[in-house]
Amino acid sequence: MIKRVYALAVLTFKEGVRDRALFGIALFSLAMMAGSIAVVSMFMRQLDKVTADMNLSAITFAGLLLCFFVCINLMSKDIDRHTIYCVMSKPFSRTQYIWGKYFGLMLLVVTGLGILTACSTLAIFTVKSGYSQYFREFTWKAFFAAVYAEILMFSVLNAIIVFFSTITTSSFITLLFSISTYIAGQTIEEVVLFLNTRFASDMVMSGPIHYFIEVIRYVLPNLSVFDIKVRAAHGIFVSWDYLGCISCYAVAYVAVLLISASFIFRRRQL
Amino acid sequence: MTRHGFIPVILLAVSMVCCVMLYQGLAEKRQKFLDQDFMGYVLPSSAVRPVSFEFRGIVSDFLFLKISTFLGAKFIKRQLLEEKHAQFLYDYTDTITDLDPWFWDAYLVADMILSWDFKRIRLANTLLFKAEKYRPHDFRVPYQIGFNYFYFLKDNARGAKYLMKASALPGSPAYLPSLAARLSMYQNQYGPAIVFLKQTLAKVRNRVLKKQFQMRLDTLVLMAGLEKKVHEYKAKFGVYPETLSDLVKKNMIKSIPDDPYGGKFILLKNKRVYTTSKMIRKWK
Repeated sequence: MIKRVYALAVLTFKEGVRDRALFGIALFSLAMMAGSIAVVSMFMRQLDKVTADMNLSAITFAGLLLCFFVCINLMSKDIDRHTIYCVMSKPFSRTQYIWGKYFGLMLLVVTGLGILTACSTLAIFTVKSGYSQYFREFTWKAFFAAVYAEILMFSVLNAIIVFFSTITTSSFITLLFSISTYIAGQTIEEVVLFLNTRFASDMVMSGPIHYFIEVIRYVLPNLSVFDIKVRAAHGIFVSWDYLGCISCYAVAYVAVLLISASFIFRRRQL
Repeated sequence: MTRHGFIPVILLAVSMVCCVMLYQGLAEKRQKFLDQDFMGYVLPSSAVRPVSFEFRGIVSDFLFLKISTFLGAKFIKRQLLEEKHAQFLYDYTDTITDLDPWFWDAYLVADMILSWDFKRIRLANTLLFKAEKYRPHDFRVPYQIGFNYFYFLKDNARGAKYLMKASALPGSPAYLPSLAARLSMYQNQYGPAIVFLKQTLAKVRNRVLKKQFQMRLDTLVLMAGLEKKVHEYKAKFGVYPETLSDLVKKNMIKSIPDDPYGGKFILLKNKRVYTTSKMIRKWK
């Protein structure tokens, strides 16, 4: 089974690498990283923070573009163009197809982000060598921890994409649902925090709405937990314990989504 | 090239010329907008935080760059900062530091301008107390609070408390433990401000801000020098001079120096040297 999933993952990866959108995303991110070298000189003293912010944001933004425009395309293309029949005619189960596709997408994202992280490291090194006296807080440990947390976030996001691809018939609807889930996942923590404030406690909220928010906070992925970029920019390492917790959360959430996706896909009329 | 082949080339050239011409006209019109107080509002962090998604760090950098540009433009154009800008600066910095609560540069700029330009020390300290919560190991935060208490609020007890707190933190300069005592000695004099500004200036990179701090330091050095001469006058003649011109008359100074801020140095009744500009830019 692992061999088949691996073969599908490699196939998906190779298919993704051929996508020309990758070059555009890579160029944009590299331009942003190179831009950080120029922009950083406009700031006062915390140049380490600004450089790290810009590079981590470039990596994240590139990852989002990769997920929303390349991964969704890779998932829906098989069904839209009926190329899935070629795959299904081989001894692959539908569950293996889902897991293979997911690992292929992850391989693509991890490779892409790996290359961008290497470029980022170079950009930070360049700025650091020029302004070493303003790089007092920056630590590589915190920086790479933030990149790792982002990869975990993309693992959840790719699982969301795979899940929606199995229940929708159009790539546009998958894109719409995935972006909506991403936005909701990034803001749900803020909403819950707001509702816990004194100001919100004065608001009259009907019982069902309160219940709905309580349910939705567990149903939606809390993507904010993977965002440790602001801390990393100041060289604050979040602790191994926290990294372990978010890793487990990501694995559990991905498992729930992929098992559900496999379950739905097995019953779907292609 | 055929006759038909020239037409697209001519059209392209005309379009390019139009683009450049229109841009020039538009830039002038746009400048009128930019000259106006384009930052009269601040979006609260309860709105900015959720819409920044996971890009809070870079959004805080952008907002900081914007406020720095705004203040820098005011300094370069030699425009007077108005009272309304104090609350605006506070709110803006509050939003920036809600996005990134560890952003020390944002706290520092707001503190320097709120305390020196607006004399809104309590407002400046509110931001510094927020910084203290997130940067408990940074000696610069209690150092800055201590100075505000000492110099602006004349609260020596609290000033000393914060400076001692700063001296116990890692990375603090070796002279800090004795600074509290020195500052107490300098009570009601310009000494602490000079020591403080020299320390700040040594680390500031931004050229516009550096120029502003340098101007402030130059003014304080002039005022401290004049006060020293006033005391020398008293020691020599047994009485204090009535005005600073008396120092010139008795050949203790060649002339009364010009205030870099455009005001005039005067001798107050309590025999302290002061400036009519209040160290707020008053350009001729």
